Amino acid sequence: MEYLLHILILIGIYVILSVSLNLITGYTGLLSIAHAAFYGVGAYVAALMALNLHSTFLVNIICAVIVSGLLGALVGIPSLRIRDDYFVIATFAFQVITFSILNNWVSFTGGPMGLPGIPQPTIFGLQVSSHLGFLILIALFCALTLWVTRRIVRSPFGRVLKAIREDEVFAQAAGKNVAAYKIIVFVVGAGMAAMAGVMYAYYISFIDPTSFTVMESIFIISIVIIGGAGSLWGPVVGAVVLVLLPELLRFLGLPSSVAANLRQIIYGGLLVVFMMWRPRGFLGEYAFQSKEARE
Amino acid sequence: MLWQLAINGIVAGCAFALIAMGLALIYNVAKFFHFAHGVIFTIGAYLTFLIANWLELPLLASISIAITATALIGCSLELGVFSPLRRKGNSPLVLLLASLGIYIILQNLISAVFGDDIKIIRTGAVNEGIAFLGARVTSIQVCIILTSLVVLAAVLVILKGTRMGRAMRAVSNDPELARVCGIDSDRVVLWAFAIGSMLAGIAGILVALDVDMTPTMGMNALMMGVVAVIIGGNGSIPGVALGALLLGMAQHLGVWRISSQWQDAIAFVILLAFLLFKPEGFMGKKIRKATA
Repeated sequence: MEYLLHILILIGIYVILSVSLNLITGYTGLLSIAHAAFYGVGAYVAALMALNLHSTFLVNIICAVIVSGLLGALVGIPSLRIRDDYFVIATFAFQVITFSILNNWVSFTGGPMGLPGIPQPTIFGLQVSSHLGFLILIALFCALTLWVTRRIVRSPFGRVLKAIREDEVFAQAAGKNVAAYKIIVFVVGAGMAAMAGVMYAYYISFIDPTSFTVMESIFIISIVIIGGAGSLWGPVVGAVVLVLLPELLRFLGLPSSVAANLRQIIYGGLLVVFMMWRPRGFLGEYAFQSKEARE
Repeated sequence: MLWQLAINGIVAGCAFALIAMGLALIYNVAKFFHFAHGVIFTIGAYLTFLIANWLELPLLASISIAITATALIGCSLELGVFSPLRRKGNSPLVLLLASLGIYIILQNLISAVFGDDIKIIRTGAVNEGIAFLGARVTSIQVCIILTSLVVLAAVLVILKGTRMGRAMRAVSNDPELARVCGIDSDRVVLWAFAIGSMLAGIAGILVALDVDMTPTMGMNALMMGVVAVIIGGNGSIPGVALGALLLGMAQHLGVWRISSQWQDAIAFVILLAFLLFKPEGFMGKKIRKATA
């Protein structure tokens, strides 16, 4: 039972991460491999505040969202000057630099030893300690993420995002401030990813930089792509599939080192297979190709 | 001390140059960042290890077999994955993501087969190296520097002097026009993959001889290769080589002032500075044509 709840909690965390990345990549067309950086910054801000300032859960999560959102604005800036593959490389750079800071600034972040002993969260006097409690908390934040994303993509604001994805020059010509839209979408996406990071930090009660590597970013982008970029429910499907599939390997009784490799081989393989035969994923409507290029 | 750091920087820069030149060669004709290039580098090292230690062939024979094999693997990736993807008219981002997927698969295969511990091809004890103007250089480091110079010269000769090289430059300049002139662009891309992957294999073997190997060595090599390609200017091979050299120097001279674990951060801060202020690099002409 505990195991089942653990899997559901993991799925919840990846739903938040992939839905928020989908806003950036699927709807606005900015392929980013920096999402684990936002996730990590959220986790570290909350953990450091809980450990050093003993502030409450809600204060921590708000601060984590704000700090991560600011980082998001920073990552969004290169998108104003460079596009496509060069922008991917720029986000890659942010990811590596963030990991490097988490890993090397030992006096502040604890470095490779990580931050142990993050206390259990208390919300309005209610202490969350059981797996079930965490699942409910994470489900609430998943619902919040999905609701906010749905509101955004169905609003005029969301239509402009899609316009930027399909034809940036046209959106600009229609009088839209493309730069502002791109930065805002990065701030919102990064803020949501920070919520997932806070959940993760409180749930596991120990964080270290290895949870927020380039490979983690690639895993999140794979969820979005396989589930379907540019659709609300695509990333949810992707998160369920990509978290559950490797868990099935446990029942094959493989040694854990090989199982870890096999898990990555599976999602690497899925990435190649989907790119070859279905670049828009299960439910997506965006196949990483702008309208200008299709014509 | 400073001189030793500079020598280390030059050696690192030459190794980066080997990777970066291959990456740039492929980028120029195939128009996407071939992330799996990093794993070809790792494969070169591990194949040499496999042939030399498990089949017990002499080192030089193992190295030549491994280099040939990396070229063949590069070609089969192009034929099996990238060429079909291009033919369907996919964008460079799709190819980049597929290449990333291949990187993940192959790196984990290596890690599952060989384990994550450090493997060594070097036989015999570590020698102290030759004294050179007060710094110490090992023979393998001299070999890295010489190889990168020879390869740079060879690539330039191929690009400027041979029919295939001219075809490559034509395709990199304007694929449509090249096709109109009767150049078989698929064959040109295949050659770029063969030569580029071979360079990655050579670099992997040399680096493994110098500092041994782990399955994740390709990630760092790939990252530095990408940084060198961008700061050097994608279109120009000498620019890329110079970019790699500067990157190696910056990383190792940086150690003089800040501790060495910040080397990755140094490289990527330089990269971001270039991307923001001079995205065409210091010797490149342009990133891409203006979207018409």
